Formats: sequence, structure tokens, C-alpha cells
Amino acid sequence: MPTLPLAPLTLALLLALPMAVRADSGVGVDSVRANKLDPSAGVAGAPADARGTSWLRPGQSRSPSGNLYECPLLPPSLQQAGEWEYDGHVQVGYLSAFGDDDNALWNRYVAWDSGLVLGLLEIALRRPADGSYADVRASRISSDDAFFDAAFGRAGSYKVQAFLRELPNVVSSNTRSIWNGVGSNELTLLPGLTPGGSSSADVAAVASGLPNRRLSVVRSKTGLGVDAYLDSRWSVYGHVSEEQRRGARPFGGAFFYNFLFPGNAGALETLKPVNDSTINLDAGLRFAGARWRMDFAYTGSFYRDSDRSFRFESPFALTPTRPGARSAPIYQGQFALEPDNDYHNLRGSLTRRLPWNGELSLTASAGRMSQDDELIAPIDCQGTFGVDTAGTGVSGPNNPFLYNCADWNTPAALSRRSADLRIDTALFDGRFSVQPSSAWLLRGGLKFEREDYRNTYLAYNPLTGDYGYIAENGAMASILPGVVGTWNPLTSPSAITRVRSLPLDEQTATANAGADWRLAARTTLGLTVQREQQEQSNRERRRVDRDSVRLSFVDRSLDWLTVRANYSWIEQGGSRYESNPYEFLYSSSLPGFVPPAGGVPAFTVDALRKYDLSDRREHKFDLKTTLALGAQTSLSAGLRGDWNDYGAEIGRQAYDRNGIDLQWEWQPSAATRGSIYYGFERARLRIANVADVAFGPDGSLGGPDYPTQARWWAYDKQRSRSAGASLDHDFGPLRLDANWNLTDTRGLTSYRFNAPDALAYFADGLDGAREGAFPLMRYRVDSLTVGLSFPLSSRFSLRVFDNFERGRIQDWHYLGLEQARVIDHRVYSDGGPQSYTSNLIGLLLDIRL
Amino acid sequence: MKWTIALASLLFAAQAGAQMVDLRAADAVGGDAAAGAAKVAVCVACHGPGGNAVVPAFPALAAQHAGYLYQSLAGFQRRADPASPMTAQVKDLSDTDLRNIAAYFAAQPRSAAATAVAGEAGARLFRQGDARRGIPPCQGCHGVAGQGHPLRGSAPRYDYYPALAQQQSAYLVARLAQYRDGKLADSSNALIMRGVAHNLDDAAIRSLADWLAAMPR
Repeated sequence: MPTLPLAPLTLALLLALPMAVRADSGVGVDSVRANKLDPSAGVAGAPADARGTSWLRPGQSRSPSGNLYECPLLPPSLQQAGEWEYDGHVQVGYLSAFGDDDNALWNRYVAWDSGLVLGLLEIALRRPADGSYADVRASRISSDDAFFDAAFGRAGSYKVQAFLRELPNVVSSNTRSIWNGVGSNELTLLPGLTPGGSSSADVAAVASGLPNRRLSVVRSKTGLGVDAYLDSRWSVYGHVSEEQRRGARPFGGAFFYNFLFPGNAGALETLKPVNDSTINLDAGLRFAGARWRMDFAYTGSFYRDSDRSFRFESPFALTPTRPGARSAPIYQGQFALEPDNDYHNLRGSLTRRLPWNGELSLTASAGRMSQDDELIAPIDCQGTFGVDTAGTGVSGPNNPFLYNCADWNTPAALSRRSADLRIDTALFDGRFSVQPSSAWLLRGGLKFEREDYRNTYLAYNPLTGDYGYIAENGAMASILPGVVGTWNPLTSPSAITRVRSLPLDEQTATANAGADWRLAARTTLGLTVQREQQEQSNRERRRVDRDSVRLSFVDRSLDWLTVRANYSWIEQGGSRYESNPYEFLYSSSLPGFVPPAGGVPAFTVDALRKYDLSDRREHKFDLKTTLALGAQTSLSAGLRGDWNDYGAEIGRQAYDRNGIDLQWEWQPSAATRGSIYYGFERARLRIANVADVAFGPDGSLGGPDYPTQARWWAYDKQRSRSAGASLDHDFGPLRLDANWNLTDTRGLTSYRFNAPDALAYFADGLDGAREGAFPLMRYRVDSLTVGLSFPLSSRFSLRVFDNFERGRIQDWHYLGLEQARVIDHRVYSDGGPQSYTSNLIGLLLDIRL
Repeated sequence: MKWTIALASLLFAAQAGAQMVDLRAADAVGGDAAAGAAKVAVCVACHGPGGNAVVPAFPALAAQHAGYLYQSLAGFQRRADPASPMTAQVKDLSDTDLRNIAAYFAAQPRSAAATAVAGEAGARLFRQGDARRGIPPCQGCHGVAGQGHPLRGSAPRYDYYPALAQQQSAYLVARLAQYRDGKLADSSNALIMRGVAHNLDDAAIRSLADWLAAMPR
């Protein structure tokens, strides 16, 4: 009698066929839609099926690696309606939020609101005669948090899906804006404040009288997708989605450094408008045959911002450093917003089966990223900017540090009107694997990636002959006479400023080979060696080499124990390290540049090694074990470590991370499920640096510009704990679910330095100490949810739940903002993250349709 | 406190059991074929001598697997469906009788000649299924020639999957329609068949039954 050893498995797969062949490309228009009220998208509340995972074999409760499968859900009992069968239910109810219910962290990605909610509407239709189906899902839990999801199709033939999704991101709940127009691209000072003419006390008085307001960005996403089988081997798909983002978030606003110039300048936290959208396209053709598989795909992404720039007013007057002179009355600031940009990518891949149960796969792709947005003028002022030394208010040879805005506030002041920048990408990836015997698997691969920057931008003003860009909205030039931020061969031939964009062309070639050796039936040892060579233009190293060896071990020889262990050794080196490959970006590279007295200052200290390019040796280890404790319980434990030593005297010197996690899963029956989790991770980062005490040409460490006494070191310690416990149980008609979660992160950065020369600011208050630490950073959130569900009748059931959450936040960056948002000429709009204690009670009625 | 603990214990213990015979971990069915022979006088009146039925509506029992036969008989007892003619036949039989009868018919050769009609549609459904309509191929559980589960003999549960080749066509039509319409759902194997047959229409059932009836054992 012929036998098919895998017949049960085959059947199990085929039983799942109606789901698997729903003509779904897997590329997806978007991910599964859910919300914070039910992150599982309805799965968590569904009753479990006591009959187990498979009718074919008993006791299929664990994965091959020993983890417990979750009990499968009870399939819906479909109701008949002519040729169609259907199942549907709707969950409606009321949520009541109280406590610190306006807190931004508590509301992040949800915006809880007391009131009526549509928890979930779910309708499923099936027509067995031809495999047709239709599904609708919808939810609305607050004004900005809702989704609608619909799909229809025929099994094995086609699928059409569409969705709408609104998701809020609450970024602040304690913003006080001294501007009108938040959310628009025009921030104008509130009545009572004079642009460029208010004192710190004036601004503080206005700010202190303002109520806290919420800032959020709402994402609205719409998508449509079609997947279809042309025949049993060819399929096509096409998806399009658009995400629109609307709102505002805290941002910057520069009118030069207030720290260096007390009572002067202006450092403003403005509120940037978010009013943009991204359209994503995916389309492809696939072939899946017995020997060949092919995939040809196009991916496109198109970003569009409704605003090209945003403007804001500074309330503060500027004062020149030269006694007797007067600053031009400038107050208008601006930022260019993210440019509209396009991305196209074409990809083709071929896969063919090889003898010895092998496979060869080749992929090639080419892409293009481009932007050609119209550029904004370097400054947005009227009249003049700079320092009026003559007292006439008129620029000219007798008033050399006062400049006409008309020479800079127009696109004519740019070397070209639009960005016209492009990056072309290319990729080739080849992989193979063969199994010459049951004990051996051999594999290897070659990969080549390349990015080419096309075109660069030269900051040149044809109206004035200046190179560079006006710094800080003209504020720097209005405080420091003659320091505009530009270079001119006639008027400022020694000014050093950035004049060109930086192209970062790069190509990476990677080769790897490896083998897996089956030592015993359920024990495997693996080895992979890899060489990666990265070549790049305009970086400190032209070539970076990364060699790695990875050993892996998997053992399942004991039925109750699975062990997985990996160790990797990675060594990074490369060509000679050059501290300043950026000379060509600066005015010092232009003809006519006259070195300043004392020479061109060193770009940075020679001993600096940037961490992505410096020599590095890494050891990485992880061990994972899963113990099957009887049929109902499993215990998993993980241990991991990652140690990095950098060959840098200045820069990052070491970065180590270690962690453990433990998980206990208990599932004595379909009616009961419990779990406990604990995770711990710590990280240590060591950085060494040196301050420049003079702008001299000597970049040597210990030299006159970077002396030993100016050296400083930082040591950053991060510790993160997370824990959780959950229990679900069916008490007959009553169902209880309880979840507790803890996230606790602490960070402490300590420092030491040789002498006060190491400090940029704040030499005061040191009391002779040469070491110390910043205050502790802490983020801890405890959350407890308890819910009860019980049926009222065969069609109605009720769910009552309470979610209590407490957040404890310490962030020294925001210290003092509770008392004052305006400190000297610095304005802080966002009060920062706040601790909170909040509660959410919900009563939800579930109705079977 | 004691009251709370007692109530909680009671609630935890009160798990409703599913009304279904789970064949996934069932034991092998043993029986005394000779003893069974003494009990089959009534059976052969309809199912033919040695279980080789000639009336199309009555299933052939000869050479059927003992596990499947035993579970079928036990099912008639369990369901006690007054509309079924089998209910009266099995109600006074002991469990041992059922096992012995099963052993007897399993040991009989299938002697009747296969019918000559064999449509390609039935063969295709049996061997390949119809992915477009969500119908899996039958051969995964019933063997490439309909002789029974390919893994029969490796574990007792595979003895509960019936041989289908050379079975009576009308009987197969009736049985598949029962699975499709959810009228048989009291064993784990019946639940497998419920899902498999769910998308079979009458024409598909007919073509499958005709092809299986024509397949020689």
C-alpha cells in the first residue's frame, strides 16, 4: 500500500486553505487595524475552543521549539441567509476617564475621551458555493481614533480591500503658546507682545496667564488594494494608500544664543505645523511554479507638504555687542519645512530550485529618490538687518555691518530656485543553499548596494556675491557686527562658513558563507563567516571593513528542553582615518579665501573617531531556553550580552548591553490562561571628549587648541525593567481578565573633567568639583486592567472593565518649567512630560447581529 | 474567606465538557471476529453476505477498518436517532458485541465488482481538491486510492478513517450531505469532515461518490 508520510500535515495545511488562498499578496495595504481599547483587534475577547488546535492529532499544544500555542478561538457559528452565511456582532458602550485624564503620555496614540464609543463592529459573510466572502470591521473610541476596514473577494481568485484609519498622537498636554496661529504656518505674537520689542518680563507675564493646551498630530490613512490570481501560478497585486497628518508639535526658533548673551538674543520653542501627506504605491506580478519563482514589483512613495515654510515672530529686542551701536529691528523668523519628494523602486527576483534540495535566488533592484522643491529665501525680513554703527539706519560703505533685507529676502538671492537633488540606488543580491546530505546544509550569498547622489547645491547669492547662508534669521549679524554667516571675497574673505551640500555616495559589498551541521537528529551546529566592505565618499574613512563570525547551536534532544545559543565576533576596521574630509564644503576651499590671522581653525580634534567608522571589536552572545513543564506550563529564559570596544581616544569608547528575560506561561485548559513576565536590561556607554579652548589650526589632542586640561568624560548608565502578569479565566458564564504591566526605565549620566576649560558654559557653581552627575532620568508606568464579561442572553453580553494607570516621570531637561516658561530670552512652550494617575472605566454591550 | 475560596474552586472546576467523541487519542479497537459472526444475522440482511451490500443505499461493510466500523455502530447507539433504522438494531448490543461485529466485517473480503462509471471531476476533487472553492483533496486522509489513511497502522487514530474505494455510491452521497449540512458532528473525525464537506455542492458530492464507487479496493 502506498504511503504518504506527511499526509496529516498536508491535510492540516489544506484545511487551512480557504484562509491561505484568499488571494492575499502579503504585501498589504496596511497592517491589522486595532486600537488601545483592544490592541488584539477582537482576538483577546473571543472565547477559546476547548477542542484544541487540530482534529488530526491529539495534544498539539506546543510549537516545535516547545512554546505553548495559545488555545485556538472558537469558530463563529454562521447563520444562513439564502446562499450566504454570516456572522456579526457590534460592541457599543460608554467610557469614563478621570484622574489626570488630559495627560499627554496617558493619551498618547489614543486621546481617551469620556463618552459613547463603538468598541467594534464586525460582520463576516461567506458563500460556500463559490468561496466568495466579505468582511467589515469598524471602531470609534474617540474623536480622532477610529477605523473602518472592509474586504471582499473569492477564495483563490481575488481580494479587494479598503480601509480608513484615524490615529491621534498626543505630543503635549501642557503647551502654552505665546503665538496665535498654532497649526498654521504663520505664528504671530499674542496681543500684548510686540515683535522685537518685548522684554522678558512682558513675555513671562503673557505666558503665565495662558491655559495649558493639548498638541497632537492626527494621522488619517486611507487605503485600497486589489490582489488576484491570474491562474494557479501567476498572481498580481496593486495597493495604494494615503496618510495625511494634521496638527502641530514643539519645534525650535533661533535668534542666536541666549546663554552666551544674557538679556539678548532669543531661543524660542515654536510650534511647528504638521500638514502633510504621503502616498504609497505597491504593485507586483508573481509566479510560483514547481521549479521557478519570480517576483516583479514596483514601490513608490510620494511625500507632499501643504506648506513650504513656516514663519514666527520673536518678541525680543536684540542688542549689539558694540557699544553705542544699534541692532536692526528684526523679529521675523522662518524655517523651511520638509521638501516634497518622490521615491520609485523597481525590483525583480528569480528563485530556482537546485539539486540536493537547494535553492538559488537572485534579486536586482533600482531606485530613485528625488526632490525639486522651490527653495525659500535666506531671510524673511524687511528693511535692514545687522548692526547700525552709523546710527542712520541706512546700509552702505559708512555703515558696513548693516545689510539690506532686499538683497536676501528673495529667491533671487539663491544660486538656483529649486533643490533639484536626487539619489539613485541599486541593489543586487544573490543567495544559494544546498543540502548535500541530511546532515549538512551549505549556504552563501553576495550582496551589492550602491547610493549615488546626483547634483549638489552651492549657497551663493548672485545679488551680493556672498557664499553661504544667513545665520539665525539675521540675529547673529544683528548682535555681532559683521558676523553674517556668509563669505565674500571682497568684504569678508576670511569668513569660514558652509557653502555646499554634502553628497554621501556609498557602496557596500557583502559576501557570506556558512554551514549547518546536524550533529544528531535534533541538534544542529552552525557557522557563518561574513565580509562586508563599505566604500563612501566624503566621510572620514573612504573604506570600512567589517568581518564577522557567527556560531549557532540549537538542541532539542530532550523533549522538555529547547536550547538556542548564538555567539558573534565582529571586527571593524578600514582605511586611514582623516579628521576633516569636509574642507570642500566650506568657504576656505573657495578661490580668494584669505586664511585668518592664526590660520584656519582645525575642523575638530584629530583624535576623534566617529563611532560608526571607528575601529571596533564586538562580542555578542545570546542564549534562549524553553522548558516544557508538563503539558500545561512552559518556562522560557533568555540571557544576552553585547560588548563593544571602540578604538577611540576621543569619541565613543565602549558600549555594552546585557539583559535577561524570564517568562512563565500556564494554560491548564481552554478556560484558563496565565502568564508572568520579567525582563531586565542595562546599558553602559563611555564617551571621551575635549573642548576647544581656542579657534586655532592645531587639531592635536593636548595641543594649544585642544589641551589636556579641557578633556572630559561621560559615563551613561541605563537600566530598564519590565514586568507583566495576566490571568484569563472562564467561570462558566462569567469571564475574568486581568493584566498588570510595569515599565521602569532609569538613566544616570555622570561626568568628570580635568578643568573648567572643558565646559562650554556654566563654569559657575562648580565648587571646585571635577566630577558629578546629572539628575536621574526616570520613566515608570504601572498599569492594571481588570475586566468581567458575562452573557445577558444568547445575543447580548456585557463587559465591564477598569484600567488604572500610573506614570512617574523625572526628566531634568524640563526642571523649572513648572515655575516659569520664560527664562531670560528663552521661551519654552511645552512643559514636558508629566507624572500622572488616571483611570478608565468602560461598560460595553456586545450584541450578536 | 472560606466561602470565597470554596466558590472560586467550584467555579474553576465547573468547566463544561464538549459533547463529542474525541478519536485523536482513541485506543485500537479489538474484537473477536468469530464471536461477531454470531451477531451479524440481522446485519447481512441489508448489508449483504459478509458485508458486501448490493443495495446502493446500504454501505458495504466488508474489509472496512474495524475502528471505523466500531465508531459508526457506537454512534448509532449514542445518537439514538428515532429516524434511523440502525437505532433499533444496535440498542440492545453491548460494547463487546459492537467490537466483535466490527472485527468480523473488517475481516471479510470485499467481493463485489466495482461499478464501471468513473468521472474525471470526481477523480480531480479526490486527488487535488478545489482551492478556488476551498475544498481540500480527500486523498490526504483517505489515501491515494481511497483505501484508508496512509498512516494507518502507525497509531490507533488512523484506523478510524474509513476506506472509501468501492463503497456504495448512494450511501456516500447521503453521508457527505450529512457532513456538509452539519447533521453529523459528534466525533472529532466528523468535525474534520464537516469542514471538508462544507463547500461541496450536490454535483461535487455526486461526482466524488461515483468515482469512489468505481475505484477497486
